[in-house]
Amino acid sequence: MEREMLTGNAAAAWGVRLAEVDYIPVYPVTPQTEIIETLAKWISNGDMDSKLVTMDSEHSMITAAGAASATGVRAFTATSSQGLMYGFEMFYTVAGWRVPLVMVNVSRGLSSPITLEPDHNDVLAARDSGFLQIHCETCQEVLDSLLMAYRLVEDERVLLPVIVNMDGFYLSFTREPVEVPELETVRKFLPPYQPRHAFFKASQPMAQGVAVLGGSMYSYFKYQMHLASQNALEVYKEVCGEFEKAFGRNYDTIEGYMLDDAEYVLVMTNSFSTLGKAAVKKAREGGIKAGLLRLRLLRPFPVKDITGALKGRRAVAVIDQNISIGKGGILHSEIASCLYNEKRRPRLLSFIGGLGGKNISPGEFEFIFDKMIKVKGVEEEEVETSQLLYTEEEWKEMARLKGIAGKG
Amino acid sequence: MLRLRFHGRGGQGAKVASRVLGTAAFLEGYYAQDFPLYGAERRGAPVAAFTRISEEPIMERGVISEPDIVIVMDKTLLYDPRVTPVSGLKRGGIVFINTPQSPEEARAEYKISGQIITLDITKICLEILERTVLSTLAGAVASKIAGLREDSLKEAVEKVISEIVTDRVLIEKNLEASLYCFNAIPPVEIKTAEAIQKGSRVITMPFETAEVSSPALNATGNTPLRRTGNWRVFRPVWNYDACTRCMICVARCPDGCILVNEDGFPYTDYDNCKGCLICVEECPTKTLGKVREVHADSKKVIE
Repeated sequence: MEREMLTGNAAAAWGVRLAEVDYIPVYPVTPQTEIIETLAKWISNGDMDSKLVTMDSEHSMITAAGAASATGVRAFTATSSQGLMYGFEMFYTVAGWRVPLVMVNVSRGLSSPITLEPDHNDVLAARDSGFLQIHCETCQEVLDSLLMAYRLVEDERVLLPVIVNMDGFYLSFTREPVEVPELETVRKFLPPYQPRHAFFKASQPMAQGVAVLGGSMYSYFKYQMHLASQNALEVYKEVCGEFEKAFGRNYDTIEGYMLDDAEYVLVMTNSFSTLGKAAVKKAREGGIKAGLLRLRLLRPFPVKDITGALKGRRAVAVIDQNISIGKGGILHSEIASCLYNEKRRPRLLSFIGGLGGKNISPGEFEFIFDKMIKVKGVEEEEVETSQLLYTEEEWKEMARLKGIAGKG
Repeated sequence: MLRLRFHGRGGQGAKVASRVLGTAAFLEGYYAQDFPLYGAERRGAPVAAFTRISEEPIMERGVISEPDIVIVMDKTLLYDPRVTPVSGLKRGGIVFINTPQSPEEARAEYKISGQIITLDITKICLEILERTVLSTLAGAVASKIAGLREDSLKEAVEKVISEIVTDRVLIEKNLEASLYCFNAIPPVEIKTAEAIQKGSRVITMPFETAEVSSPALNATGNTPLRRTGNWRVFRPVWNYDACTRCMICVARCPDGCILVNEDGFPYTDYDNCKGCLICVEECPTKTLGKVREVHADSKKVIE
């Protein structure tokens, strides 16, 4: 196995190459384009035996990828942000076809105002579609997750599409050392896809995506998707074990950092978790029993694992790098639902940070730990709404820019 | 941990420079991370790139706001209020500036307090590579200042450049230019302390009406005030004796920077001309020539 300096995008491309994907419909969008450029280069060099087709939009692209998957070939595609939005109709449609499509989303904040840097409103918009979701912290994890993703969703107990998510810029364009596994080892871990439910064979005609009228039929199909997604929790654990055996790296549904005896726990996802871990380490040096829980598998939501990791703590702070306008942090609500029926449930605080790639400074993490330490018992205090992590300095800079823009 | 920040212009090679350095450090056994930041992908737009080098696993991501070393690949950026290349430089930090000036002259002109190192890498690049893509040269300068070995740099240049170009001659020239720069920079001792971020207070954001809080501009457009040509390496110059007013230059200029005076003769808008020299190439009567821009009046040009 060779270690190389790779961007998250290049790591994703390596995952696709090693998974020996057959068909790749593409449409460019920053900060994802480097993935498809890399694949196109390899295919034209003859390093990869795969069919890459440029489409007219993300809507067509996701349709083509799903349709290809429904013929029984291994398909891949990638998008980001506005592209995900443009293809959104087809997320639900393709998931309903029950095909094992693997897709990468490179997170980028949504317009407007338009931006290039990351937050998770794009990928979380797709959270109810039926796509499974794996969220990555490092470039290595992007590559590894792609291999795990195919193995996971091609399992007969699952057969749903999956999104592997990484942050734009912070992973997509960041190079760090990545171990590129040997093809032979990957082949043993991920054998060719043997479709038993959706494939193309002239002697065996099949119609996909039928219409139903009548709620009982509709309910049946939708709930079957939910059951398949729930199955994925168990299948994921198996895949995780097999992956560790083959490659020596473990990726559970959640990751704990300094969690064993932690009283004050941050909950984070994706690449900013690295900043959270550094803050936890620093807080520990200052005598605070801090820890971090990183959510990796977001769909299906690993409720039992999360409840197990968070019950009995003094306080938990969810840092959402997203905002459900009118409610607050999306993952805060989901974590709250995991803990509501738990007798030893911790106080739960909600923070919004890193929108549009805004840095979360060490001072902002200190602010969070301070809030967690000071928070009182459940009955004694009103639950605060989501607190935005935003500094005085940033507010002053914003005031200056408002001046330039002629805002009073 | 060493934190380096490169400042360059779109097309100059700041991103690749950060990769040359990151790769050299990685090959030498360090933990390394590199990362570019750019907005609109326009030639000449300010670009920053970052490299972290550490003996421990790196638990940082994103921009480097408090660098130990700053590499300024285009000195006109030092006058750009949106870029401020030396902002956040740690006490005892090092600034490299691509300029023919001596460190003392550069210190006097740019009012920089850190340790300054200068070298005219554009000149070296023009002589060896016959173009102005400074990536391997800036990467070499940074590798030397960061204390990396010559063989690591050599291997890194070979690796990074052969991922971009296949022309062996060009790869060899990049090796030659980068090693020249590596050896032209004296060994440096970096005496910066770990960053202590003071941090700004977290506030509760108040409501403001949509009149203020919508992302609309209510001011007159000011794009014409932004002079996009101050960084050019070559300046097109005119010898009107031969000009036939054929207007081919006007038609070919990709940036609309050739205007026509009242006598019907074309002339260059030097505030915005990026020095691509397509006009010089296209002129059928050799009315247009080129001279090296020296930026002696870079401050004047931008103001």
